[in-house]
Amino acid sequence: MTSIALKRRTALLGAAMLGALAAMPASAKTTLDFYYPIQVGGPLTKVVDGYIAKFKEANPDIEVNAVYSGNYTDTTTKALTAAKSGAPPAVAVLLATDIFTLIDEDVVEPVGEFVKNDADKAWLAGFMPAYLKSAQVGGKLWSIPFQRSTAVLYYNKDAFASAGLDPNKPPKTWAEMVAMGKAVTQKDASGKVTRWGVGIPGNIGSSQWLFGALVAQNGGRLMNDEGTETYLTDQKVVDALQFWVDLSTKEGVHPPGIQEWGTTPQDFLEQRIAMIWTTTGNLTNIARNASFKFGLAPYPGNPKPASVLGGGNFYIFKKAPQDQKDAAFKLVKFLTSDELQADWAIQTGYVAPRDGAWNVPVLKEYTAKMPDALVAKNQIPDSVPEFSTYENARTTKILNDALSAALTGSKTPRQALSEAQTAIDRILRPYRR
Amino acid sequence: MIETRTSPAELIVAFGGWVLALLWVSPLLYAFWTAFHPAAYAVRFDLLAPWTLENFARVWNAAPFPRYFLNTFLLVTLILCCQFVICTLAAYAFVCFPFKGSDVLFMFVLLQLMIMPEALLVENYKTVAQLGLLDTVLAMGLPYLASAFGIFLFRQTFKSIPKELEEAARLEGANMFQVLLRVFVPVAKPIYIAYGLVTVSYHWNNFLWPLVVTNSVDTRPITVGLQIFATIEQGVDWSLITAATILSVSPLLVAFLLFQRQFVQSFMRAGIR
Repeated sequence: MTSIALKRRTALLGAAMLGALAAMPASAKTTLDFYYPIQVGGPLTKVVDGYIAKFKEANPDIEVNAVYSGNYTDTTTKALTAAKSGAPPAVAVLLATDIFTLIDEDVVEPVGEFVKNDADKAWLAGFMPAYLKSAQVGGKLWSIPFQRSTAVLYYNKDAFASAGLDPNKPPKTWAEMVAMGKAVTQKDASGKVTRWGVGIPGNIGSSQWLFGALVAQNGGRLMNDEGTETYLTDQKVVDALQFWVDLSTKEGVHPPGIQEWGTTPQDFLEQRIAMIWTTTGNLTNIARNASFKFGLAPYPGNPKPASVLGGGNFYIFKKAPQDQKDAAFKLVKFLTSDELQADWAIQTGYVAPRDGAWNVPVLKEYTAKMPDALVAKNQIPDSVPEFSTYENARTTKILNDALSAALTGSKTPRQALSEAQTAIDRILRPYRR
Repeated sequence: MIETRTSPAELIVAFGGWVLALLWVSPLLYAFWTAFHPAAYAVRFDLLAPWTLENFARVWNAAPFPRYFLNTFLLVTLILCCQFVICTLAAYAFVCFPFKGSDVLFMFVLLQLMIMPEALLVENYKTVAQLGLLDTVLAMGLPYLASAFGIFLFRQTFKSIPKELEEAARLEGANMFQVLLRVFVPVAKPIYIAYGLVTVSYHWNNFLWPLVVTNSVDTRPITVGLQIFATIEQGVDWSLITAATILSVSPLLVAFLLFQRQFVQSFMRAGIR
């Protein structure tokens, strides 16, 4: 009963505030909505609320409603719905790969427009170029990196040692990965495999991410920077998929069929797989639960090592009032300061996308205790952006379907990829004018 | 001669029934197993595994569940009450007070059944925003207060009630509201129970619209609160997610187990299967 009464009172208060806002001139307090998703474990809404409280302290004229809005897909739906109905949030954290969709829907404003003075330019220059690159389209900067991740190799040092390998020498090439994978694969008396050499998650939704790394390692590329072309029939791309399929069918070091993203960390912790490919975001989880010695390693190459970037960026919405957008830009600068990015990296396991953040004392102390966290950082210059084109949801699904068809053996890699390329060509043709 | 042995056909039916029932219940059994055991046993079956309530404690502390439960309860009650009133009155009008064009109007009601609510997301959001109702429980319920399916279902039921009952009531001097409340509604009781169950479970589980239209803990229902545990990027923490799921479905589950007989009978009579 009291809560209903309370609710009514807050509703009245809200109505009164709305009325007051409408009546007051623009010089009054600016209120803005900020949508953000949470993709990793931990009490992160509290962490974000803490950041926002600090921001409000420093900017008493700005009121921020930080709205936790589910996972990335939910947040995109929510932000797009609000934007389409004319009342967008001022700023939201959405996938870096949503960039073409958001440009296409004409709902976001290039963040570059807000960078005016030297201080802003210096701040912008502090981001790692690899992360900024995936936010640039057509010569404009559309978003600002925030919670960025990258994929790395986790390997079981105990398993390496017991197989007679040097536990401090993770594989540097594909051939080494296969050879070491064979060495650590174990079978029981009946011939059933009890420990696989390597696991690369290939289920719908994550396969395009890690496949991007495989292709880059093989010296190929999946798409162009403009998001209008894909190169799935390129020999290097086909060979990369063939290698992935061969890991289980020919070499016998990878579990057959599709390895699930969600259970991969568990498989590693239970020592069912000795090397796994997954995100840096898993480090805290694995470090806490592993009953054996493990290490992080950069990805192998064929011959050039490469990984893939992931995660979310800040987007500022076009149709929000100018004062809100200006305030949102201030918020973005605040949340991407070296100090907050250092803290965010420790709280979440994301990779701070600014070199300066890694020099902040707290993060330095953290990496001194857990040097594995540096592996991800050092690999970033060798990393490529995640698969992303116009009509991204559709093209990503087509690529995912092709990969799973090849991994389950229902199509050959070349057949699956060339069919996917044809389907994607049909979708992207209007964007190639 | 009376055949006392069960025929092979019956055996197959019974066997099939058991297999389907086991398939259906297996995720729930898994959820119970995982929720009450430490994370290490999430994918390992061991009868001697230690039992724990720690997962529930962690889940309970990670999100304001009492508030979410209250919001869901308010939402579901609001929708259920409004749907009963509106659909009953509409169905009654369609059956007993035909007017020019009422058949066409009914067609329009049926047409609505074919529109996915997701397709109206943006338009509904616009309307709610214009009404100034964003981030309220009322906004979450608003698009669902009338239901084409409810009108259709009640109309069919009312139509099947013999005219004589209605006429007898009229002869006794009942007015039109008394006829509705004393004759039609009591006869249709099983339908109301069955429909109520469908509505409650649908809106208890509804996710997308509540997520889009709410912003704060004070209004969000349990499904949106649950989402925070599905942190897929890091791999799935099954023990947490199953504990949270069991927590959020438990009121419905308990209600179903308690009233199982009534529910099943209502469904048999109502013909919703």
